[in-house]
Amino acid sequence: MNEFLQILSEPWAIRAVIVSSLVGIMCGTLGCFLVLRNMSLIGDALSHAILPGIYFSFVFFGYSTLGFFFGATIAGMLTALGITWVQDHVKTKNDAAIGIIFTAMFSIGVIGISSLARTGAHLDLKDFLFGNVLGISDADIVLTSIITIYTLISIVVFYRYLFVTTFQPTIATAMGFSTKTIHYFFMLLLSVAVVSSLGAVGVILVVAMLITPAATALLLSDNLKKVLFISACIGLLSAVFGFLVSVKFETTPGPAMTLVATTFYLLAVALSPSKGLVFKYLERKKQKNKIVNEDILRQVIKSKDGSPVAIDYLKEKLGLSQASLKKGVQNLKTLGLVIKSAQGIALSDSGQKKANELVRAHRLWETYQVDKMGIDAVQIHDEADYLEHHLSEELLEEIAKDLGFPENDPHGSPIPPKV
Amino acid sequence: MSDYTIQVKGVSVSYHTKRVLTNINLNIAGGSVVGVVGPNGAGKSTLFKSILGLIEYNTGEIKVLGQDIEDVRKRVVYVPQKDDVDWTFPATVMDIVLMGRYPHKKILQRINKEDKRIAMEALEEMGIAELSNRQIGALSGGQQQRVFIARSLAQGGDIMLLDEPFVGVDMTTEEKIIQLLKKLAAQGKTLLVVHHDLAVVDEYFDKVILLNQRLIAYGDTDVTFTKENMAKTYGPQLTILHKTGLI
Repeated sequence: MNEFLQILSEPWAIRAVIVSSLVGIMCGTLGCFLVLRNMSLIGDALSHAILPGIYFSFVFFGYSTLGFFFGATIAGMLTALGITWVQDHVKTKNDAAIGIIFTAMFSIGVIGISSLARTGAHLDLKDFLFGNVLGISDADIVLTSIITIYTLISIVVFYRYLFVTTFQPTIATAMGFSTKTIHYFFMLLLSVAVVSSLGAVGVILVVAMLITPAATALLLSDNLKKVLFISACIGLLSAVFGFLVSVKFETTPGPAMTLVATTFYLLAVALSPSKGLVFKYLERKKQKNKIVNEDILRQVIKSKDGSPVAIDYLKEKLGLSQASLKKGVQNLKTLGLVIKSAQGIALSDSGQKKANELVRAHRLWETYQVDKMGIDAVQIHDEADYLEHHLSEELLEEIAKDLGFPENDPHGSPIPPKV
Repeated sequence: MSDYTIQVKGVSVSYHTKRVLTNINLNIAGGSVVGVVGPNGAGKSTLFKSILGLIEYNTGEIKVLGQDIEDVRKRVVYVPQKDDVDWTFPATVMDIVLMGRYPHKKILQRINKEDKRIAMEALEEMGIAELSNRQIGALSGGQQQRVFIARSLAQGGDIMLLDEPFVGVDMTTEEKIIQLLKKLAAQGKTLLVVHHDLAVVDEYFDKVILLNQRLIAYGDTDVTFTKENMAKTYGPQLTILHKTGLI
């Protein structure tokens, strides 16, 4: 443990944490628009495509942080322009065009940088592919800070433009916003963000920092401003925790950050309050229980003189397992809708009322199907069986009114009046 | 300056090599609800997009409010077909309606109380004020269309182009929208509506544009929306329409 803390207090580690945090926040925010614009693949493409920029900048200016920055940004913008040009002028599918251009750019970069390394230059391809936290300099901190601030300010100032062009480009154009300008401006932001993420995560995995926190945040909120904030937080946490994990287990930080982000994503997939799998499962289960309960009520009310109905009879009639029937009866008892005795199940007063409502829903819907939808009377039962559980009181009133408050359903059974 | 709010002179449009609109000439004045009617592929949406300057036309000229569209965008409102929208987008009803205020803002100006008041008024006008905080995906088709109409109200403007506003919309919403359009027309605004249901053309539109790649006819509905003109517009499809009892 002490050793762990000691590493963290070393200057390179502090520099790495600062830069990673900034990268997490910046990529998290920009990534939201990337994901919403369906441009995730472009993010991947831009990050790979900046390599030749690094190569050429080294050839001309030697090892220079600022040189790398401008070289890589120019390469990124050329890629963005190239992709758009191919998409507009050549009959190649959009994603194929992206794939062709970025792999070509990436290859140029790999060949270039490898050849430099062979001539003895102090450049390691691996550092660019997977990041090199040891090599983060004070100049990198300054540059990344400036870029992060610039990106965040741009998003605040141009929020409306980004919002409208992302949501409905046609409307944006009709309102007089230049979607093209905003597209390229966004590409520029993306390029500089990717470039400044090189040291912390490298070109291969920077796309994870762009899309994973954003996709996570989109599962957690329906409000774009909140999504941006949550995504920035998740990006920050992924970067910092990822870095700590990598120090602890002595691995490369990029993959560790990616996996921390993925963990957040999986947690959101499972636990998101409205879109999570757990929530949906519980919701479905609740719905299923409700249907079982209501089916029991419907069956018990059929008992002629209100005498109790035997459990075994219910089981056979409803085709339920012993367990779910027992649970249903227990639920109904807790709700005070049924009375359980040795002879079986009987309805309480409130149970009687609830069951009547269900019968009313069932028979009204049957009537509606025959009268208004022209469906044959023999076909209507199953749908009514299903819908009786879901028709709201207001809707039923509408239907009854629309039908002129009928007294009998198409099978001739009476429709109970509203209580 | 003429009284016409939209002037289309000899406009032709092609996509790649396919001709979509041929030599369209139209002079539309404010103060009426104009239906745009024609079969699928007749170029109705293309006509809108040409007027809005969203696509380039090969020949001809279009003047909107006597000027080039680029100079009057604020005053022209477009309500596109609503099927190309990502309904899972993290935006509330209010966010969407406030978009209508964007063209009125300079870069550094923020959305302020006045904009919110205007947006709220538009929502009230469409009868969906209570939905202002809902995510747009949680709305019914009719409510979604009302949101887009509310956005165009919030934008204001003198010309409104609506592309199939009644598709996937409940009866109450349809009536609400048509009443609103008539009210706006009475204020002197220009309203163009692409519409499919021929049965209600008489009732909804003061004037009608019959289009099938060429302009078949344009004028007051009672004299233009005739069997002869419909035959010219729909050609062989007309027999099918006869069978459906629409005309």
